[in-house]
Amino acid sequence: MISFIGRSAIQKIITLFFVSIVSFLIIHLAPGEPGQVDPMNPKFTPEVVERFKKEFHLDKPLHVQYLYFYQNLLTGKTVSWKDNQPVLKKIWERFLNSLPLFIVGTILTWTLSFPVGIRSAIFRGRLYDRSATFLSYLLISIPGFFFAYILIILVVTHFHVPVIGMETFGIGDASVLHIFMDRIWHLILPSVLGATGGIAVLSRYVRSQMLEVEGQDYVRTARAKGLPTEQVYYKHALRNALLPFVTMFGLILPGLIGGSVIIESIFSWPGMGRMAYEAILARDYPVILTVNFASAVLVLAGTFISDLLYLVVDPRIRL
Amino acid sequence: MTTRRVLILAPVLLILVLLQSYFWVPTYEQQTRGNPERLDKYIIGSIGDASILNPILSADSASSNIEDMVFEGLIDRDEQLRFRGRLATSWDVYEEAFFYVNESFSIPGLGKASPQEVADYIKEAKKKGDETWPGLRDSLDSITEISVIPPRNFSVIRHEKDPNNGKKKKDIKISVAAAAGIKLVLNRVDQGLFQNLSLLLGNDYFESFQGEDYLRTEPRLGKEKLAAYADELLPAFEHNPTLMFHLRPGVKFHDGHLFDAYDVKFTYESIMNPKNLSPRIADYEPVKTVKVIDPLTIKIVYKRLYSPAIGTWGMGILPEHLLNEQALKKEALRLGKDSDTFSMRQSTFSRKPVGCGPFRFREWKSDQYIALDRFDDYWEGPPNYKGYIFRVIADLLTQEMEFYAGTIDSYSVQPHQVKRLEKDPRFQSFSGIAFGYTYIGYNIRRKPFDDPRIRRALGMAIDIDKILNYVLYGQGKRITGPFVKQTDYYNHNIEPIPYDPKGALALLEAAGWKRNKAGWLEKDGERLKFTLITNSGNDLRKAILAIAQDAWKQIGIDVRTDLLEWSVFIQERVNKADFDALILGWQMGIDPDLYQIWHSSQTNPYQLNFVGFKNHEADDLIIKIRQEYDHDQQAEYCHRLHEIIAEEQPYTFLYVGKWTAVLDKRIVIKKVDDAGNVRYEKIKPTKTGSYSFHFNRWIKLPEAPILLDEG
Repeated sequence: MISFIGRSAIQKIITLFFVSIVSFLIIHLAPGEPGQVDPMNPKFTPEVVERFKKEFHLDKPLHVQYLYFYQNLLTGKTVSWKDNQPVLKKIWERFLNSLPLFIVGTILTWTLSFPVGIRSAIFRGRLYDRSATFLSYLLISIPGFFFAYILIILVVTHFHVPVIGMETFGIGDASVLHIFMDRIWHLILPSVLGATGGIAVLSRYVRSQMLEVEGQDYVRTARAKGLPTEQVYYKHALRNALLPFVTMFGLILPGLIGGSVIIESIFSWPGMGRMAYEAILARDYPVILTVNFASAVLVLAGTFISDLLYLVVDPRIRL
Repeated sequence: MTTRRVLILAPVLLILVLLQSYFWVPTYEQQTRGNPERLDKYIIGSIGDASILNPILSADSASSNIEDMVFEGLIDRDEQLRFRGRLATSWDVYEEAFFYVNESFSIPGLGKASPQEVADYIKEAKKKGDETWPGLRDSLDSITEISVIPPRNFSVIRHEKDPNNGKKKKDIKISVAAAAGIKLVLNRVDQGLFQNLSLLLGNDYFESFQGEDYLRTEPRLGKEKLAAYADELLPAFEHNPTLMFHLRPGVKFHDGHLFDAYDVKFTYESIMNPKNLSPRIADYEPVKTVKVIDPLTIKIVYKRLYSPAIGTWGMGILPEHLLNEQALKKEALRLGKDSDTFSMRQSTFSRKPVGCGPFRFREWKSDQYIALDRFDDYWEGPPNYKGYIFRVIADLLTQEMEFYAGTIDSYSVQPHQVKRLEKDPRFQSFSGIAFGYTYIGYNIRRKPFDDPRIRRALGMAIDIDKILNYVLYGQGKRITGPFVKQTDYYNHNIEPIPYDPKGALALLEAAGWKRNKAGWLEKDGERLKFTLITNSGNDLRKAILAIAQDAWKQIGIDVRTDLLEWSVFIQERVNKADFDALILGWQMGIDPDLYQIWHSSQTNPYQLNFVGFKNHEADDLIIKIRQEYDHDQQAEYCHRLHEIIAEEQPYTFLYVGKWTAVLDKRIVIKKVDDAGNVRYEKIKPTKTGSYSFHFNRWIKLPEAPILLDEG
């Protein structure tokens, strides 16, 4: 067990090292310059551009820039080029904003897709299953931004309520309860949108897992010994069908930091995804790279956690 | 079965909890009823957030939007786009000129003369008022003071690259024994002064002055280098245009501190301070000295004639007492940072600015909003709105939705949205000509674009009115030259190129291009073919690309097109002048200085005259325009320059776009006369198309008023 953890930690650190190199290279090799050293901006003379480059170490060779950057990152000294704010502080603030969206979205996804998927498996081939399948594929294939616009236009033109942002703008002196409910209202649309794709995909998984387990011997045995159908499905089949989802649960961790670029932009939600997107547009390398690095860490941590979870829930696996 | 019940109940409960929140959210009507303060706030929607709220450091439009509210400059532009005093009540523009006396030169009618004799000779001529040369007479009339500057010695040390070793630098000591000179003070700026004086003093009086003779260098330098240093250190003559600003007394910063001339000087010095990395440093480079005469008078002397310099004093003035060296040191100490490297850029001032504009800063939440409060001690009287809020909404449709929900008052409305909104009785809409134009530029270095007939023919083949109607939905106007259409620099006498494919073919034929059997234009067996490029991501340009290609194909030109990603387009094609023809746009300032885009010295790689336009007369006019301080004279030069550019057609000028804006009808101008009577007026755009010119007088009423001047 301990040797597994140790081995896996070393492997992950090596992977992280390569990820850091590759992401650094990709960002620096992509065309375009940070806004502060854009040669097309007539406001900046070549001398000013030169000085900016020096200030940001952009005049140094790539490997030196790489060392400077990760040295600053690991000592927590990285600052954004756009506004000179410390990057970690910025990310933390945005992370707190993205968190409720992520939590509500995840809860919606996981609570809705199980009943839908299980029911589909039980009534497979019938009208319910077919319409659920149709709906799932519709939701998977409809572009998120399009769906978001349609929902926003419907809600705003029919109910005349604001839906953009984290709360009604300028709500000011309302009571705490009002503000709290207002915030929940503003959470609904973006988190529903964030969850739709997940629900569609996950409910498909649940359905196929249930179907697979149903064909197993022990399910037939359970039926044969005369247990009620409900108990067969919800106790014997479901428990075993759940196993692969333990792995998936570990993999939702990276979603924490990536947020949703499109939905956060459309709803002008001041979250992580939008910050990363704006950083890319402004070629704000420190922010892009830090977010990138953090999400790499989370992906690796996610896989690690799901390995461990698997170990706990599946008695057949021993290391 | 519990598992089943839990599985079904959990999502149902969750959804119910979420949905019930709808009943707590204020709707459009309730919002204004329950929250009357909403009427006192003006909320503006923006795509991007501000980056740094310090007028000398920022370079983006979002930041400058806020800075315009928080900071105030010495001057700005009035409804006619002329300069108007803000923190300055008035200003004088005059000139101090200087030249070295060449004692070895024989002046006609005087012979070799000492400095005093030359000065007396000029005084004499001024008194006589000879009418032979009216130009000279005018120049002499404008002289108010003549004095002799005695000879002086000084030395400077310059670093230069070692010719043998590129990396090493060597010091050069230059000792200057400057000759005596004469200083003239004029009551205006006269760019023809020395030209006119040479009528009096002899044709080559100024050219014959050899600065090299007064220089000694250690180590010795080659002739060319020496001449370059002589030009720099001892120019035969010098114009020093001077601006004297008289400042408004009793103006306060938001923290109550009084504004004075030292703040102006400090702002200038901060821009020039290399530690601050100000992007505006180039604007102020021509300044020679800034001198505080008394707390309410400041004198700015320039190194050379450069008339766009006046406009730079619209720059927001920084409060010295919050940003000077002691203040920054204190802040660095408080934040635990190294006080030697700590500059204005790191200061928290840029996140909570203090100026003397109509609104004071309250709060900034990154990517959400910036809130400003009205400044009650504003020198012109406080604005009507109590708050100004700048909201960041990254998406256009979302902005429109927020506008409908009443949570923003203004946003960057799109042409097609205007069509929909202008019929709505709840709103009022405005539109006017913008400051930017779109053009097709030809690489004049390449054949066949070196022939102006070809460039004109290409322009004649395109039906620009069609572009205006079908691509821009009428939200654009024709333009014939590079000046802002609503200023008097623009020459309205120039007719736009007509749409005339037959005429185009005739012109091409005159240039030697004939249609062959297959219909292609040919000259010496070669087909007329080239590639037209533009950047991807701009649908208007993409549409124009297709229209131009089609129009040119119809007269037999083999045109290829290409769309390139913006940074590739700029870095690989535009900067390196590697293109045949391209579609691009320029954003113009009001000032008519065209040096960067049209002067022949700016045609090298990475410079903005990438089409390679070179014209001797145009160069001359461009220099004259930037040296002229008299508005009418400047406009005259501009009209001629406009003519030349329209004649040469280095660009096919396509159109200038229109800006549009929509506001709630309940927003009106509120005026209070001396007797205290309140009068409401409809908001009207000024002649030059600024609808928010009277913003400080705006207010939102609970009900749309019936206005007398509406009918």
